[in-house]
Amino acid sequence: MWLTSKIKQVLMVIKPGVVTLNYPFEKRPVPENFRGAPYWDHEKCIGCGGCANHCPARTILIRDICQEIRVMVYDGSRCTYCGRCADVCPEKAITMTDRYELATDDRQDLNESMELFMLTCQRCGRCYDMENVNMIDRMDLQGYRYDNIEARAFIRKTTDRFDPEMLKKTADYKRPSKIGE
Amino acid sequence: MNSLDKVLKALQDKFGAGITGHASPLPTRLFINIKAEMVREISNEVVTLGGRYLVGIGHDNIARDGNIGMIHTFGFDKDNFIVHLNAAVPGSNPVMPSITPDIPGAGWSEREYQDLLGMKFEGHPKPKRLVVADDWPADIFPMRKEVPYNMVPPAAEDVAYQLDECPEGCSIIPVGPFHTALHEPEHFAVYVDGETIKGCDYRGFMTHRGIEKLCESQVSYNEVPFIAERICGICGSVHATAYSQAVEMAGGIPVPKRAEYIRSLLLEIERLHSHLLWLGVAGHLIGFDTVFMQSWRVRENIMWLSERITGNRKTYGMVIVGGVRRDITPVIGEDILKVCAKVEEEVKIIHKSITGDTALHKRTKGVGYLSKEEAIKWSLVGPVARARGIDIDVRRDHPYAAYSELQFNVPVVDTCDVWGTLVVRLLEIYESISLIRQIIAKMPKGEILTELSEEIPSLKHGISVVEAPRGESVHFVITGEENRPDRWRVRAPTYPNLQAIPAMLLNDQFADFPIIVGSIDPCFSCTDRVEVVSVTSGKKRIMSKSEIEFISRGNR
Repeated sequence: MWLTSKIKQVLMVIKPGVVTLNYPFEKRPVPENFRGAPYWDHEKCIGCGGCANHCPARTILIRDICQEIRVMVYDGSRCTYCGRCADVCPEKAITMTDRYELATDDRQDLNESMELFMLTCQRCGRCYDMENVNMIDRMDLQGYRYDNIEARAFIRKTTDRFDPEMLKKTADYKRPSKIGE
Repeated sequence: MNSLDKVLKALQDKFGAGITGHASPLPTRLFINIKAEMVREISNEVVTLGGRYLVGIGHDNIARDGNIGMIHTFGFDKDNFIVHLNAAVPGSNPVMPSITPDIPGAGWSEREYQDLLGMKFEGHPKPKRLVVADDWPADIFPMRKEVPYNMVPPAAEDVAYQLDECPEGCSIIPVGPFHTALHEPEHFAVYVDGETIKGCDYRGFMTHRGIEKLCESQVSYNEVPFIAERICGICGSVHATAYSQAVEMAGGIPVPKRAEYIRSLLLEIERLHSHLLWLGVAGHLIGFDTVFMQSWRVRENIMWLSERITGNRKTYGMVIVGGVRRDITPVIGEDILKVCAKVEEEVKIIHKSITGDTALHKRTKGVGYLSKEEAIKWSLVGPVARARGIDIDVRRDHPYAAYSELQFNVPVVDTCDVWGTLVVRLLEIYESISLIRQIIAKMPKGEILTELSEEIPSLKHGISVVEAPRGESVHFVITGEENRPDRWRVRAPTYPNLQAIPAMLLNDQFADFPIIVGSIDPCFSCTDRVEVVSVTSGKKRIMSKSEIEFISRGNR
């Protein structure tokens, strides 16, 4: 009994042989639908902010520094590569690439930022109807956003008119420190 | 009269005024409002009627009616329904009787709300801290709504968990928080007499980071599945599916048939890889590294398959509320069948070559013995329970997704030891492969995602149970007003199984400790509800606190 199972085990090991990949010298090709590092196409982006509202990791931040200019920052150092941003983008400006070797000693290497010129809507100042019928997705869509990009902080509050006061208030946003420090 | 009504009637007849209301929004769910002071008697009666304790859920309702609610849930596996006993106590004096003396499986749930909501349970046999850190201030209860999600109280020195009293004549062997036999940080104090284990105390939740609080205060409904998926690095899809099903149940959201089939497919693929992973780890723990290497080699095929289906080896990111994100194309379908055939063939080879191995028998047979009665008492779940002759499997007992339309066997053995869990898991691999084949063959055409046209109504309750590879996961959701859940409770399968570990260890050899703990396929991180951090080997170096802070946060 003991010997037969040992013989079987030897056969089990010999048959497949060595399966170790010769990585990193030879890379295994990634499959077609792979979710690698996302890529932003600034020419297609309309600055609707759908990606920022859906990012579960709060990787994409938006700061409206005035009525016309919207700054968008993607902080890849905390991206989970779920690909939700690419899903919801109405203009297909975001694609998940096949890049996956992203280790770096400078976290700035992973960031991407855009400054977008935003036209003012004649009716409401700023509105988006992204042919998005899903109620959960629609709820967070409208208005002006004031995330603090230096502190990488997502400020949940939005306004329907551009609010300089809010901008000023969020400029010196501080992360919570220990009580009493 | 069906059995759900029978249970309700039996409770009403016996307790009368103790039951203040009831509702049954679905034929498989029964919500009963009870008076808090009668919770112990009513729970006992529910267990006598055939209920199996699932989980307790505490929720803060102070802003609405000044009460803190505690919901005990029981599954009736033979009749496919779940009973909720919903009790409420005033927020100013949240004291209610403990049900732990009769139902030991409820011990942790009650201790958890003692820490998180400041409740008191009279008569609890071990009212120690469970979830929050030892230096967490005693008057801050993090799950209460007025406590902000990002509060950082000051750290305190010189506080430590008080271990249980060591039995006379025994010595204490500390295992953990970092130990080669454990893959995640938890602390076991094992009381040994010579080589024989006489007792054990457990202090866990060292990686508790408050995912539930985060999701109740920050993110929106459709972001939670991605966070839920990161509760566990092995059975992520299970948590995402369970959460989505709970929200769908609460909000009455229909899910397309095709999406349900795809969810089942992902769950079965996950079970395949998880069981092979466990087999490898179990082999490794008893020093049988051939099994480890070979089962992980076979598992790699499944990981690559998942990458082709979902775009990632793990954390599939496929499930959202209302359906799934990616479709299964005919090409992928064929690919899946091909991989299944290969894996089945390879698993058969492994199965044949290890089941006769006497070394394996000696290390696992009779080890970690826990009788069927004990196992029922501790409400064990999953392969650990099925190895002890308890015939439960929520895929069959409380069918969800597409499982009601699929045929499969539930392997049950009654050896009551680690060997049994190994056999059950091996047999389940074949069942999973057969299920995947059925799913591909039967998958209907159609939409994969329901678009919601209305907001999800608030304050609805939803509970869903999903069979994870290591047992059942229970997710409970109370819908909220701001596009996110008001309360979301996760109970991973390790939660009940780990509570029974001291009973399993009793009178075993200390050398068997790793495999006994390993036999429940412990996922401490699921239990603590954070993401899994993989352990990489490297040279030993002690890092200072500021260094650790720097790598995790940078100079902020």
